[in-house]
Amino acid sequence: MKPYVKTKFRNSLLSRYLIIIGFALVLVPILIPVSFAASWGVNRLLFPPAPGTAETVRDYGSGLDLETMWHGEAQALGGKAPQAIDERLRQLKREYPDASLFWVDSAGQTRLQLPERSGLPAKWSAEDAIAYMKRAVNGDPFTIVAFIGSKKSPGNQGFMVFELPRAHMYKSSTERNGDSRFYGLFMFMMFAFFILISYLFFRDIRTRLLRLETGMARTGPNGLPVRIAEGRPDEIGRLEQAFNRMVDELGQSRQREREEEELRKNLIGNLSHDLRTPLTVLGGQLYSFRKEPLSEQGREVLALMEVKIKDLGTLIDHLLSYNLLSSGRYALNPEDRDVLRIVRVSAAAWYPLWEKAGIEADIDLPDEPLIWNVDEQGFRRVLDNLFQNLVRHARSGGYVGISLAERHGKPALVIADRGPGLGAVSPSKGAGLGLQIVDLLLREMNLCRETESTAERGTRTYIFTAAPSPLVK
Amino acid sequence: MIHEKTILYIEDEKEIGDWVHQDLRERGYGVIWLTNGDRAVDEAASCQLAILDVMLPGLDGFTVGQRLKKQYPGLPILMLSARTSIDDKLQGLQFADDYLTKPFHPDELAARVEVLLRRSGAPSAEPLQLGHLLIYEKENIIKNRESGEEIVLTGKQFHIFQYLLRHLGQIMTKEQIFESVWGEPYLDGDKTLMVHIRHLREKLERDPASPEIIETIRGIGYRVRA
Repeated sequence: MKPYVKTKFRNSLLSRYLIIIGFALVLVPILIPVSFAASWGVNRLLFPPAPGTAETVRDYGSGLDLETMWHGEAQALGGKAPQAIDERLRQLKREYPDASLFWVDSAGQTRLQLPERSGLPAKWSAEDAIAYMKRAVNGDPFTIVAFIGSKKSPGNQGFMVFELPRAHMYKSSTERNGDSRFYGLFMFMMFAFFILISYLFFRDIRTRLLRLETGMARTGPNGLPVRIAEGRPDEIGRLEQAFNRMVDELGQSRQREREEEELRKNLIGNLSHDLRTPLTVLGGQLYSFRKEPLSEQGREVLALMEVKIKDLGTLIDHLLSYNLLSSGRYALNPEDRDVLRIVRVSAAAWYPLWEKAGIEADIDLPDEPLIWNVDEQGFRRVLDNLFQNLVRHARSGGYVGISLAERHGKPALVIADRGPGLGAVSPSKGAGLGLQIVDLLLREMNLCRETESTAERGTRTYIFTAAPSPLVK
Repeated sequence: MIHEKTILYIEDEKEIGDWVHQDLRERGYGVIWLTNGDRAVDEAASCQLAILDVMLPGLDGFTVGQRLKKQYPGLPILMLSARTSIDDKLQGLQFADDYLTKPFHPDELAARVEVLLRRSGAPSAEPLQLGHLLIYEKENIIKNRESGEEIVLTGKQFHIFQYLLRHLGQIMTKEQIFESVWGEPYLDGDKTLMVHIRHLREKLERDPASPEIIETIRGIGYRVRA
């Protein structure tokens, strides 16, 4: 395995999501004024202000500011000559061009008016003053009346008046409220945008995971999973890479296994060839001895040697077959076959040998087929080995019985002999490779073998299907 | 009994080749022995049987055998194998008519050769004598040797008898006979074959109750002994 490779932080899903969150957090303080400005802008676009008003309006501050200023001025003018008062008012008029100013002396005489206007009494009586004040309260223009001089001796020097149309004092409050009417909408749109980004982010992850799952579940023609297309090199991308690495390694190991299998098969094939060839030569040489004049004893020895060569050939076959089978290097192809038919064909091949060996064959098989899932070659091999054992070890019984019987509630093939039984000492007894091969082959074909053997009644071998009986060990 | 048959024999092991060649000649066969498969197809033209070793230098026995079978589909091929009987390479021997594993006894080889030649060869001009019967295979005539009468068989009876004659001395199962003669799968418990055999015996046997020509192998099938 390759060592764990850390993904670059900028490639990770976590970092991408953190960027989205961070972006949102940073933008909130910016967002609020921005959406306010946007709201103001949209409001201006949708509801443009009445033309002209904005340009002429001058802001002179609030009414309180003006009052403070005016009373201050009046106090400062206390004790001054009328000319000085005139002078000061002219200056103030220049500062407040939209305002109209006048003053009245202590005798009630109207003095300087800026601008000059009608409607003011030339000589103020008490009634005039009251009527003027009444009119001025909360009216337009906004009016401030201040006594000139100190507050301690009012009326000494008269009073001065400041009038200003209210339009010049403050902006339209209705206009100000309208500026924020789209603010909420903009905030909502911004948040909706972030939610959308988040949703798309997770939807993308989900889509890729689903695609990955589909890709992992797909298998190629060799039964192995196939490689998947690798996407962005983030966490999921790494998962995809790891999966592909695994698929590659699986394929390589399968390949190695195949090569080993091939190597082993070749080795065994060559070994078999190398062992059997000299044996065949030996057999040929022995055979040619027959043409020589030989004593009776010589002929017997020759016959025995021929038998031993045949045995040796069988042993080599068993040894190599066992090697192939036990290492699982031999593939069987089980199919549904009528085993009774295979048994009959096998028995037909063995029959002449039994006749020669003086073994009476009692074959009692039903005509109805018995279908088992077996590999035909493998099953033939099982029967061959069993019959071979029978000829070798149970010849003395002079009997072979092939029949069908019930075993653990299932039909079982029975091969019976009347030999001395398995416990007996047989001159040609070996390591029992033949039977081990039988067992390996039967196991591969999901079949079972049980043997009953007594010295008196011989051996009965049962073959039956292994699964799914719980009685089978 | 069989003469003037030529066998193509391909074997690279000189010592084995020597004695098999010698033995087959002594048994009355003509033998063309090659040590590799290069000229096999040319030489096979005059042969009635091919015996091939599986492991050959250059072209292996499988390839040579398949080429021969392609060129001469009727030529029986016997493979000699030094491989293990469980080797899956044996699957590659499907094209072969028979195979024999080394070491083998010369008598066994001779027996197989005879069976293959009988099965595939043209019917012999010589009449075949079976018990009280005289069989002229070429003319498809069966005569009772004692009475000189000709025995006339129906189509199916003739086919069954011919099949057993082709596999003279071999036991054939009921399924094998039925499927070869009728050309359809043998159904379980099919009594047709038994009926035909009974009628065949009534015509051929001296005593149909204790048949001498067509032998019943109980539980397996039938055999006509040579």
